[in-house]
Amino acid sequence: MSLIAPSNKAGGSGKGGPRRQENNRIYANPLPLLLTPTQAKGYLSPHRIWGIFGISGTIIENPHCKGLFDRATKSVWVTNHRDAMILWRRGFFGKGDLSRSEPSWHTRQVNARRDAGKSLTSEELREKRRAERRQFKMDRARAIAEAAAEAEAAFAEGREASVIAIPSGATWKPQPSSATGQPQLVAKMTVDAVEDDVEEEETLEDVEHLQLTLQEAFFVIWNLDCLTILDPLTHEPLSLRDIWSTFQQAHWPSGPAVSLSRIYADRFDNPFLVNYVAYHYYRSLGWVVKGGIKFCVDLLLYKRGPVFQHAEQVNLSPFAVVVIPVYEDPEDRKTSPFELNNAEPFTWSWLSTINRVNTQVQKTLILTYVTIPARTRVDTALLSSPACLAHYSVRDVVVRRFIPARMRD
Amino acid sequence: MESHPSYALLSELTTKYPRTAGSLLQTYNDLKLAQQWEDLEVFEVPSCSRGAFKGQRPNTTAVLYVIPCSLSESLSLSWFRDAFEDMGKPPHIYLAINAEDSNIVYYKLSPGIVKPPV
Repeated sequence: MSLIAPSNKAGGSGKGGPRRQENNRIYANPLPLLLTPTQAKGYLSPHRIWGIFGISGTIIENPHCKGLFDRATKSVWVTNHRDAMILWRRGFFGKGDLSRSEPSWHTRQVNARRDAGKSLTSEELREKRRAERRQFKMDRARAIAEAAAEAEAAFAEGREASVIAIPSGATWKPQPSSATGQPQLVAKMTVDAVEDDVEEEETLEDVEHLQLTLQEAFFVIWNLDCLTILDPLTHEPLSLRDIWSTFQQAHWPSGPAVSLSRIYADRFDNPFLVNYVAYHYYRSLGWVVKGGIKFCVDLLLYKRGPVFQHAEQVNLSPFAVVVIPVYEDPEDRKTSPFELNNAEPFTWSWLSTINRVNTQVQKTLILTYVTIPARTRVDTALLSSPACLAHYSVRDVVVRRFIPARMRD
Repeated sequence: MESHPSYALLSELTTKYPRTAGSLLQTYNDLKLAQQWEDLEVFEVPSCSRGAFKGQRPNTTAVLYVIPCSLSESLSLSWFRDAFEDMGKPPHIYLAINAEDSNIVYYKLSPGIVKPPV
Protein backbone atom coordinates (compact mmCIF):
# COMPACT_ATOMS: atom_id res chain seq x y z
CA MET A 1 0.00 0.00 0.00
CA SER A 2 1.13 3.55 -0.12
CA LEU A 3 3.00 3.72 3.12
CA ILE A 4 1.64 7.08 4.09
CA ALA A 5 -1.99 6.89 3.04
CA PRO A 6 -4.25 5.62 5.83
CA SER A 7 -5.66 2.22 5.21
CA ASN A 8 -9.25 1.40 5.93
CA LYS A 9 -8.78 -2.33 5.72
CA ALA A 10 -8.64 -4.39 8.86
CA GLY A 11 -5.46 -6.16 7.89
CA GLY A 12 -4.00 -2.93 6.61
CA SER A 13 -0.34 -3.49 7.31
CA GLY A 14 -0.21 -7.09 6.13
CA LYS A 15 2.11 -8.03 3.35
CA GLY A 16 1.05 -10.09 0.39
CA GLY A 17 -2.44 -9.97 -1.03
CA PRO A 18 -4.08 -6.82 0.40
CA ARG A 19 -0.92 -4.75 0.11
CA ARG A 20 -0.29 -5.81 -3.45
CA GLN A 21 -3.88 -5.05 -4.40
CA GLU A 22 -3.63 -1.66 -2.76
CA ASN A 23 -0.39 -0.95 -4.62
CA ASN A 24 -1.93 -2.09 -7.89
CA ARG A 25 -4.76 0.32 -7.34
CA ILE A 26 -2.68 3.34 -6.37
CA TYR A 27 0.09 2.86 -8.91
CA ALA A 28 -2.14 1.70 -11.74
CA ASN A 29 -1.11 4.40 -14.20
CA PRO A 30 2.41 4.11 -15.61
CA LEU A 31 2.51 7.69 -16.88
CA PRO A 32 1.10 11.03 -15.69
CA LEU A 33 -1.22 11.22 -18.69
CA LEU A 34 -4.48 9.37 -18.30
CA LEU A 35 -5.98 7.77 -21.37
CA THR A 36 -9.67 7.08 -21.08
CA PRO A 37 -10.91 4.99 -23.99
CA THR A 38 -14.33 5.99 -25.19
CA GLN A 39 -17.15 3.49 -25.08
CA ALA A 40 -18.16 2.92 -28.69
CA LYS A 41 -21.65 1.60 -28.97
CA GLY A 42 -22.87 0.21 -32.24
CA TYR A 43 -21.19 -0.21 -35.58
CA LEU A 44 -22.03 3.19 -36.90
CA SER A 45 -20.95 5.19 -33.86
CA PRO A 46 -18.83 8.23 -34.79
CA HIS A 47 -15.83 6.85 -32.96
CA ARG A 48 -15.81 3.69 -35.03
CA ILE A 49 -16.06 5.68 -38.21
CA TRP A 50 -13.26 8.02 -37.21
CA GLY A 51 -11.30 4.94 -36.24
CA ILE A 52 -11.29 3.80 -39.84
CA PHE A 53 -9.37 6.93 -40.72
CA GLY A 54 -6.91 6.31 -37.91
CA ILE A 55 -8.29 8.97 -35.60
CA SER A 56 -8.62 7.68 -32.08
CA GLY A 57 -11.47 8.68 -29.82
CA THR A 58 -9.43 8.28 -26.70
CA ILE A 59 -9.56 11.21 -24.38
CA ILE A 60 -6.23 12.29 -22.92
CA GLU A 61 -6.38 13.80 -19.47
CA ASN A 62 -3.37 16.00 -18.77
CA PRO A 63 -2.68 16.93 -15.15
CA HIS A 64 -0.67 20.07 -16.09
CA CYS A 65 1.81 20.05 -13.23
CA LYS A 66 4.07 22.94 -12.36
CA GLY A 67 7.68 22.90 -11.25
CA LEU A 68 10.41 25.41 -10.43
CA PHE A 69 13.87 25.18 -11.89
CA ASP A 70 16.64 25.35 -9.29
CA ARG A 71 20.09 25.96 -10.71
CA ALA A 72 22.06 25.35 -7.53
CA THR A 73 20.85 21.79 -7.05
CA LYS A 74 20.51 21.16 -10.82
CA SER A 75 16.95 19.95 -10.42
CA VAL A 76 13.30 20.86 -10.75
CA TRP A 77 11.28 21.32 -7.57
CA VAL A 78 7.59 20.49 -7.47
CA THR A 79 6.21 22.09 -4.33
CA ASN A 80 2.50 21.61 -4.98
CA HIS A 81 1.43 18.47 -3.12
CA ARG A 82 -1.15 17.39 -5.70
CA ASP A 83 1.32 17.66 -8.57
CA ALA A 84 3.99 15.88 -6.57
CA MET A 85 1.74 12.93 -5.80
CA ILE A 86 0.58 12.70 -9.41
CA LEU A 87 4.13 12.61 -10.72
CA TRP A 88 5.16 10.06 -8.10
CA ARG A 89 2.14 7.80 -8.36
CA ARG A 90 1.98 7.76 -12.14
CA GLY A 91 5.42 6.67 -13.20
CA PHE A 92 7.56 7.17 -10.05
CA PHE A 93 9.07 10.42 -11.27
CA GLY A 94 11.12 12.31 -8.74
CA LYS A 95 11.87 11.83 -5.06
CA GLY A 96 10.75 13.63 -1.94
CA ASP A 97 13.77 15.60 -0.83
CA LEU A 98 13.35 14.72 2.85
CA SER A 99 12.30 11.12 2.30
CA ARG A 100 13.63 7.91 0.87
CA SER A 101 11.27 7.93 -2.09
CA GLU A 102 7.68 9.07 -1.76
CA PRO A 103 7.35 12.52 -0.14
CA SER A 104 6.32 11.37 3.31
CA TRP A 105 8.05 13.88 5.60
CA HIS A 106 4.89 15.62 6.77
CA THR A 107 3.17 12.32 7.55
CA ARG A 108 6.20 11.10 9.47
CA GLN A 109 6.25 14.25 11.59
CA VAL A 110 2.52 14.00 12.30
CA ASN A 111 2.93 10.29 13.12
CA ALA A 112 5.82 11.00 15.44
CA ARG A 113 3.88 13.61 17.32
CA ARG A 114 0.77 11.56 17.56
CA ASP A 115 2.72 8.34 18.11
CA ALA A 116 0.11 6.34 16.29
CA GLY A 117 2.62 4.82 13.91
CA LYS A 118 0.78 1.58 13.25
CA SER A 119 1.65 1.51 9.59
CA LEU A 120 5.31 2.46 9.45
CA THR A 121 6.70 4.62 6.69
CA SER A 122 9.73 3.24 4.90
CA GLU A 123 12.02 5.51 6.93
CA GLU A 124 10.67 4.15 10.21
CA LEU A 125 11.05 0.60 8.93
CA ARG A 126 14.63 1.42 8.01
CA GLU A 127 15.37 2.65 11.54
CA LYS A 128 13.87 -0.50 12.99
CA ARG A 129 15.94 -2.65 10.64
CA ARG A 130 19.12 -0.75 11.55
CA ALA A 131 18.47 -1.14 15.28
CA GLU A 132 18.01 -4.88 14.80
CA ARG A 133 21.20 -5.14 12.77
CA ARG A 134 23.12 -3.28 15.47
CA GLN A 135 21.78 -5.71 18.06
CA PHE A 136 22.73 -8.67 15.89
CA LYS A 137 26.28 -7.37 15.51
CA MET A 138 26.64 -6.93 19.26
CA ASP A 139 25.31 -10.43 19.89
CA ARG A 140 27.72 -11.84 17.34
CA ALA A 141 30.68 -9.95 18.77
CA ARG A 142 29.83 -11.17 22.25
CA ALA A 143 29.53 -14.75 21.04
CA ILE A 144 32.87 -14.54 19.26
CA ALA A 145 34.53 -13.15 22.39
CA GLU A 146 32.99 -15.93 24.47
CA ALA A 147 34.17 -18.58 22.03
CA ALA A 148 37.69 -17.15 22.09
CA ALA A 149 37.76 -17.03 25.90
CA GLU A 150 36.44 -20.59 26.06
CA ALA A 151 39.09 -21.80 23.62
CA GLU A 152 41.82 -20.10 25.67
CA ALA A 153 40.56 -21.63 28.90
CA ALA A 154 40.23 -25.06 27.34
CA PHE A 155 43.74 -24.90 25.91
CA ALA A 156 45.16 -23.85 29.27
CA GLU A 157 43.45 -26.80 30.95
CA GLY A 158 44.31 -29.18 28.13
CA ARG A 159 40.73 -30.17 27.30
CA GLU A 160 38.41 -29.85 24.30
CA ALA A 161 36.66 -26.51 24.01
CA SER A 162 32.90 -26.72 24.15
CA VAL A 163 31.19 -25.36 21.07
CA ILE A 164 29.59 -21.95 21.42
CA ALA A 165 27.03 -21.03 18.80
CA ILE A 166 27.88 -17.86 16.89
CA PRO A 167 24.74 -16.25 15.47
CA SER A 168 24.54 -15.97 11.71
CA GLY A 169 22.60 -13.35 9.82
CA ALA A 170 20.19 -15.87 8.38
CA THR A 171 19.03 -17.45 11.62
CA TRP A 172 19.30 -14.68 14.23
CA LYS A 173 16.05 -13.37 15.65
CA PRO A 174 15.69 -10.10 17.54
CA GLN A 175 15.32 -10.63 21.29
CA PRO A 176 12.44 -8.87 23.04
CA SER A 177 14.87 -7.57 25.69
CA SER A 178 16.57 -5.45 23.06
CA ALA A 179 13.51 -3.27 22.86
CA THR A 180 13.97 -1.92 26.41
CA GLY A 181 15.31 1.32 25.03
CA GLN A 182 12.21 2.02 23.02
CA PRO A 183 9.32 2.02 25.49
CA GLN A 184 10.87 4.87 27.45
CA LEU A 185 11.28 6.89 24.29
CA VAL A 186 7.70 6.19 23.31
CA ALA A 187 6.43 7.28 26.71
CA LYS A 188 8.36 10.53 26.48
CA MET A 189 6.96 11.29 23.08
CA THR A 190 3.35 10.75 24.06
CA VAL A 191 3.70 13.12 27.02
CA ASP A 192 5.14 15.85 24.82
CA ALA A 193 2.64 15.13 22.11
CA VAL A 194 -0.30 15.69 24.43
CA GLU A 195 1.01 19.09 25.47
CA ASP A 196 2.14 20.39 22.10
CA ASP A 197 -0.35 18.52 19.97
CA VAL A 198 -2.76 21.31 19.27
CA GLU A 199 -0.26 24.05 18.44
CA GLU A 200 2.29 21.89 16.63
CA GLU A 201 -0.11 20.23 14.25
CA GLU A 202 -1.60 23.47 13.16
CA THR A 203 1.72 25.21 12.62
CA LEU A 204 3.56 22.32 10.96
CA GLU A 205 4.17 23.47 7.43
CA ASP A 206 5.09 20.93 4.80
CA VAL A 207 8.54 22.06 3.70
CA GLU A 208 9.20 19.05 1.55
CA HIS A 209 9.11 19.16 -2.22
CA LEU A 210 9.38 16.54 -4.91
CA GLN A 211 12.74 16.81 -6.61
CA LEU A 212 13.04 15.80 -10.25
CA THR A 213 16.38 15.46 -11.94
CA LEU A 214 16.83 17.50 -15.11
CA GLN A 215 16.55 14.30 -17.13
CA GLU A 216 13.25 13.26 -15.55
CA ALA A 217 11.83 16.75 -15.94
CA PHE A 218 12.83 17.01 -19.58
CA PHE A 219 11.41 13.58 -20.36
CA VAL A 220 8.06 14.51 -18.85
CA ILE A 221 7.99 17.88 -20.61
CA TRP A 222 9.19 16.86 -24.04
CA ASN A 223 7.47 13.51 -24.45
CA LEU A 224 4.35 13.88 -22.34
CA ASP A 225 3.90 17.64 -22.09
CA CYS A 226 2.41 17.49 -18.62
CA LEU A 227 4.85 19.68 -16.73
CA THR A 228 5.41 23.42 -16.94
CA ILE A 229 8.64 24.83 -15.59
CA LEU A 230 8.66 28.27 -14.08
CA ASP A 231 11.69 30.47 -13.84
CA PRO A 232 12.60 30.67 -10.12
CA LEU A 233 12.89 34.46 -10.05
CA THR A 234 10.20 35.67 -12.41
CA HIS A 235 7.82 32.71 -12.13
CA GLU A 236 7.23 32.90 -15.84
CA PRO A 237 6.83 29.61 -17.70
CA LEU A 238 9.83 28.68 -19.81
CA SER A 239 9.46 27.66 -23.43
CA LEU A 240 10.74 24.27 -24.55
CA ARG A 241 13.68 25.90 -26.31
CA ASP A 242 14.57 27.84 -23.14
CA ILE A 243 14.29 24.70 -21.05
CA TRP A 244 16.58 22.78 -23.39
CA SER A 245 19.32 25.40 -23.25
CA THR A 246 18.85 26.18 -19.54
CA PHE A 247 19.26 22.53 -18.62
CA GLN A 248 22.51 22.33 -20.53
CA GLN A 249 23.76 25.58 -19.04
CA ALA A 250 23.07 24.28 -15.55
CA HIS A 251 26.29 22.30 -15.93
CA TRP A 252 28.34 25.34 -16.80
CA PRO A 253 30.09 26.88 -13.82
CA SER A 254 28.26 29.85 -12.38
CA GLY A 255 30.25 33.02 -12.29
CA PRO A 256 30.90 36.27 -14.05
CA ALA A 257 33.41 35.05 -16.67
CA VAL A 258 31.38 35.25 -19.85
CA SER A 259 34.31 34.36 -22.05
CA LEU A 260 34.50 30.95 -20.44
CA SER A 261 31.03 30.10 -21.68
CA ARG A 262 32.43 29.58 -25.14
CA ILE A 263 34.43 26.65 -23.85
CA TYR A 264 31.37 25.05 -22.33
CA ALA A 265 28.90 25.83 -25.10
CA ASP A 266 28.24 23.66 -28.12
CA ARG A 267 29.54 20.47 -26.64
CA PHE A 268 28.01 17.10 -27.18
CA ASP A 269 29.49 15.79 -23.94
CA ASN A 270 27.47 18.03 -21.68
CA PRO A 271 26.58 15.79 -18.71
CA PHE A 272 22.89 16.64 -19.09
CA LEU A 273 22.86 15.34 -22.67
CA VAL A 274 24.81 12.16 -21.98
CA ASN A 275 22.66 11.24 -18.99
CA TYR A 276 19.50 12.19 -20.82
CA VAL A 277 20.31 9.81 -23.67
CA ALA A 278 20.57 6.88 -21.26
CA TYR A 279 17.50 7.98 -19.31
CA HIS A 280 15.36 8.40 -22.42
CA TYR A 281 16.53 5.08 -23.85
CA TYR A 282 15.37 3.09 -20.84
CA ARG A 283 12.23 5.09 -20.13
CA SER A 284 11.04 4.77 -23.70
CA LEU A 285 11.46 1.00 -23.39
CA GLY A 286 9.09 1.04 -20.43
CA TRP A 287 11.48 0.78 -17.49
CA VAL A 288 11.09 2.97 -14.42
CA VAL A 289 14.46 4.69 -14.07
CA LYS A 290 15.69 5.99 -10.71
CA GLY A 291 19.03 7.22 -9.42
CA GLY A 292 21.55 4.63 -8.29
CA ILE A 293 23.94 6.46 -6.00
CA LYS A 294 23.13 4.12 -3.11
CA PHE A 295 24.55 1.18 -5.04
CA CYS A 296 27.59 2.89 -6.60
CA VAL A 297 25.89 3.01 -9.99
CA ASP A 298 24.24 5.66 -12.12
CA LEU A 299 20.73 4.30 -12.67
CA LEU A 300 18.41 1.65 -11.32
CA LEU A 301 15.85 0.07 -13.62
CA TYR A 302 12.60 -1.22 -12.20
CA LYS A 303 10.06 -3.17 -14.21
CA ARG A 304 7.01 -1.55 -12.65
CA GLY A 305 8.38 0.61 -9.87
CA PRO A 306 10.34 0.56 -6.61
CA VAL A 307 7.19 -0.23 -4.66
CA PHE A 308 6.70 -3.52 -6.49
CA GLN A 309 10.22 -4.80 -6.37
CA HIS A 310 12.58 -5.26 -3.49
CA ALA A 311 16.10 -6.54 -3.41
CA GLU A 312 14.98 -9.60 -1.46
CA GLN A 313 13.20 -11.01 -4.47
CA VAL A 314 16.10 -12.00 -6.64
CA ASN A 315 14.31 -12.63 -9.88
CA LEU A 316 12.41 -9.36 -9.67
CA SER A 317 15.14 -7.14 -8.36
CA PRO A 318 16.04 -4.03 -10.31
CA PHE A 319 18.95 -3.70 -12.69
CA ALA A 320 21.90 -1.50 -11.80
CA VAL A 321 23.14 0.55 -14.74
CA VAL A 322 26.52 2.22 -15.06
CA VAL A 323 26.56 4.81 -17.83
CA ILE A 324 29.88 4.85 -19.65
CA PRO A 325 30.37 7.72 -22.09
CA VAL A 326 32.44 6.84 -25.13
CA TYR A 327 33.89 9.56 -27.28
CA GLU A 328 33.68 8.94 -30.99
CA ASP A 329 36.57 11.34 -31.44
CA PRO A 330 39.35 11.10 -28.82
CA GLU A 331 40.22 14.75 -29.45
CA ASP A 332 36.91 15.75 -27.95
CA ARG A 333 37.84 14.12 -24.71
CA LYS A 334 41.09 16.05 -24.50
CA THR A 335 39.37 19.38 -25.05
CA SER A 336 36.46 18.60 -22.76
CA PRO A 337 35.83 21.02 -19.88
CA PHE A 338 33.41 18.57 -18.26
CA GLU A 339 34.67 15.77 -16.07
CA LEU A 340 32.36 12.97 -17.10
CA ASN A 341 32.28 10.02 -14.77
CA ASN A 342 33.63 6.76 -16.19
CA ALA A 343 34.91 8.31 -19.41
CA GLU A 344 38.33 6.83 -18.72
CA PRO A 345 38.65 3.10 -19.28
CA PHE A 346 37.55 1.03 -16.30
CA THR A 347 40.22 -0.66 -14.27
CA TRP A 348 39.50 -4.30 -13.48
CA SER A 349 39.55 -3.55 -9.77
CA TRP A 350 36.84 -0.90 -10.12
CA LEU A 351 34.66 -3.16 -12.23
CA SER A 352 35.09 -5.97 -9.73
CA THR A 353 34.17 -3.66 -6.86
CA ILE A 354 30.96 -2.48 -8.47
CA ASN A 355 30.02 -5.98 -9.49
CA ARG A 356 30.66 -7.29 -6.01
CA VAL A 357 28.56 -4.57 -4.36
CA ASN A 358 25.67 -5.26 -6.67
CA THR A 359 25.87 -9.02 -6.34
CA GLN A 360 25.69 -8.60 -2.58
CA VAL A 361 22.49 -6.60 -2.89
CA GLN A 362 21.20 -8.96 -5.55
CA LYS A 363 21.13 -6.67 -8.49
CA THR A 364 22.35 -7.43 -11.98
CA LEU A 365 24.92 -5.02 -13.35
CA ILE A 366 24.47 -3.50 -16.80
CA LEU A 367 27.10 -1.41 -18.53
CA THR A 368 25.52 1.11 -20.87
CA TYR A 369 27.85 2.64 -23.41
CA VAL A 370 26.68 6.00 -24.74
CA THR A 371 28.61 7.11 -27.80
CA ILE A 372 29.13 10.86 -28.02
CA PRO A 373 29.20 12.12 -31.61
CA ALA A 374 32.34 13.83 -32.88
CA ARG A 375 32.24 17.60 -33.27
CA THR A 376 34.01 17.24 -36.59
CA ARG A 377 31.33 15.01 -38.05
CA VAL A 378 28.13 16.45 -36.61
CA ASP A 379 27.26 20.11 -36.76
CA THR A 380 27.13 21.62 -33.27
CA ALA A 381 24.26 23.86 -34.36
CA LEU A 382 22.06 20.80 -33.85
CA LEU A 383 22.59 21.23 -30.11
CA SER A 384 19.97 23.96 -30.01
CA SER A 385 17.25 21.35 -30.14
CA PRO A 386 16.74 17.72 -29.08
CA ALA A 387 17.32 16.71 -32.70
CA CYS A 388 20.97 16.13 -31.77
CA LEU A 389 19.93 13.15 -29.66
CA ALA A 390 19.53 11.09 -32.81
CA HIS A 391 23.30 11.11 -33.24
CA TYR A 392 24.03 9.42 -29.93
CA SER A 393 24.00 5.65 -29.79
CA VAL A 394 23.46 3.34 -26.86
CA ARG A 395 24.73 -0.18 -26.36
CA ASP A 396 24.25 -2.24 -23.23
CA VAL A 397 26.12 -5.20 -21.83
CA VAL A 398 25.07 -7.34 -18.87
CA VAL A 399 27.86 -8.30 -16.51
CA ARG A 400 27.64 -11.25 -14.13
CA ARG A 401 30.26 -12.97 -12.05
CA PHE A 402 30.74 -16.54 -13.18
CA ILE A 403 32.03 -19.03 -10.65
CA PRO A 404 32.37 -22.40 -12.41
CA ALA A 405 32.46 -24.34 -9.16
CA ARG A 406 29.16 -22.97 -7.91
CA MET A 407 27.10 -22.10 -10.94
CA ARG A 408 26.18 -25.28 -12.65
CA ASP A 409 22.77 -24.36 -14.01
CA MET B 1 16.07 27.87 -3.74
CA GLU B 2 15.89 31.37 -2.32
CA SER B 3 12.29 30.87 -1.28
CA HIS B 4 13.05 27.86 0.88
CA PRO B 5 12.82 28.65 4.61
CA SER B 6 16.31 27.25 5.27
CA TYR B 7 17.91 29.60 2.78
CA ALA B 8 18.15 32.58 5.14
CA LEU B 9 20.53 30.81 7.48
CA LEU B 10 22.83 29.74 4.65
CA SER B 11 22.66 32.82 2.44
CA GLU B 12 26.05 34.15 3.49
CA LEU B 13 27.85 30.97 2.51
CA THR B 14 25.83 30.33 -0.63
CA THR B 15 26.68 33.74 -2.02
CA LYS B 16 30.33 33.36 -1.10
CA TYR B 17 30.70 29.86 -2.53
CA PRO B 18 28.04 29.52 -5.25
CA ARG B 19 29.40 26.28 -6.66
CA THR B 20 28.64 24.36 -3.49
CA ALA B 21 25.38 26.16 -2.69
CA GLY B 22 23.15 23.31 -3.84
CA SER B 23 24.85 20.59 -1.80
CA LEU B 24 24.99 22.88 1.23
CA LEU B 25 21.25 23.51 1.16
CA GLN B 26 20.35 19.88 0.48
CA THR B 27 22.53 18.59 3.29
CA TYR B 28 21.22 21.22 5.70
CA ASN B 29 17.62 20.29 4.93
CA ASP B 30 18.33 16.61 5.35
CA LEU B 31 20.11 17.03 8.69
CA LYS B 32 17.72 19.56 10.16
CA LEU B 33 14.35 18.34 8.91
CA ALA B 34 14.67 14.69 7.99
CA GLN B 35 17.28 13.47 10.49
CA GLN B 36 16.15 16.02 13.10
CA TRP B 37 19.61 16.91 14.31
CA GLU B 38 19.85 19.20 17.33
CA ASP B 39 22.03 22.28 17.82
CA LEU B 40 22.86 22.30 14.13
CA GLU B 41 25.43 24.99 13.32
CA VAL B 42 26.97 25.92 10.02
CA PHE B 43 30.53 27.21 9.78
CA GLU B 44 32.98 28.00 7.04
CA VAL B 45 35.79 25.73 5.87
CA PRO B 46 37.93 28.10 3.76
CA SER B 47 40.47 25.55 2.51
CA CYS B 48 37.68 23.52 0.91
CA SER B 49 35.71 26.55 -0.29
CA ARG B 50 32.46 25.55 1.30
CA GLY B 51 30.47 25.49 4.50
CA ALA B 52 30.20 22.54 6.86
CA PHE B 53 27.91 21.53 9.70
CA LYS B 54 28.24 20.34 13.24
CA GLY B 55 25.47 19.10 15.45
CA GLN B 56 24.13 16.18 17.41
CA ARG B 57 21.89 13.33 16.41
CA PRO B 58 18.60 13.32 18.33
CA ASN B 59 18.91 12.06 21.92
CA THR B 60 22.72 11.88 21.82
CA THR B 61 25.43 14.17 23.13
CA ALA B 62 28.32 13.49 20.75
CA VAL B 63 29.05 16.36 18.39
CA LEU B 64 29.36 15.20 14.79
CA TYR B 65 30.83 17.05 11.83
CA VAL B 66 29.45 16.88 8.31
CA ILE B 67 30.99 18.35 5.16
CA PRO B 68 28.87 18.38 1.99
CA CYS B 69 30.03 17.74 -1.54
CA SER B 70 28.41 16.90 -4.85
CA LEU B 71 28.63 13.65 -6.80
CA SER B 72 30.28 15.33 -9.75
CA GLU B 73 33.23 16.68 -7.75
CA SER B 74 36.66 15.09 -7.64
CA LEU B 75 38.19 15.13 -4.19
CA SER B 76 41.73 14.34 -3.17
CA LEU B 77 43.41 13.14 -0.01
CA SER B 78 44.93 16.56 0.57
CA TRP B 79 41.40 17.98 0.42
CA PHE B 80 40.39 15.62 3.20
CA ARG B 81 43.48 16.54 5.19
CA ASP B 82 42.66 20.24 4.87
CA ALA B 83 39.07 19.53 5.88
CA PHE B 84 40.19 17.75 9.04
CA GLU B 85 42.55 20.61 9.87
CA ASP B 86 40.01 23.35 9.36
CA MET B 87 37.25 21.59 11.25
CA GLY B 88 39.40 21.38 14.35
CA LYS B 89 40.73 17.81 13.97
CA PRO B 90 37.66 15.87 15.07
CA PRO B 91 38.01 12.07 15.48
CA HIS B 92 35.90 11.54 12.39
CA ILE B 93 33.90 13.56 9.90
CA TYR B 94 30.99 12.62 7.69
CA LEU B 95 31.18 13.36 3.99
CA ALA B 96 27.69 14.05 2.63
CA ILE B 97 27.66 13.19 -1.08
CA ASN B 98 24.68 14.82 -2.76
CA ALA B 99 23.09 13.53 -5.94
CA GLU B 100 20.83 15.58 -8.21
CA ASP B 101 17.75 13.56 -7.30
CA SER B 102 18.23 14.68 -3.66
CA ASN B 103 19.68 11.37 -2.45
CA ILE B 104 22.46 11.91 0.06
CA VAL B 105 25.00 9.22 0.92
CA TYR B 106 27.06 9.78 4.07
CA TYR B 107 30.58 8.38 4.31
CA LYS B 108 32.40 8.33 7.61
CA LEU B 109 36.04 9.38 7.32
CA SER B 110 38.68 9.01 10.00
CA PRO B 111 42.32 10.05 9.82
CA GLY B 112 44.33 6.84 9.78
CA ILE B 113 43.26 3.22 10.16
CA VAL B 114 40.29 2.55 12.44
CA LYS B 115 39.08 -0.89 13.51
CA PRO B 116 35.33 -1.36 13.06
CA PRO B 117 33.46 -1.24 16.41
CA VAL B 118 31.95 -4.76 16.19
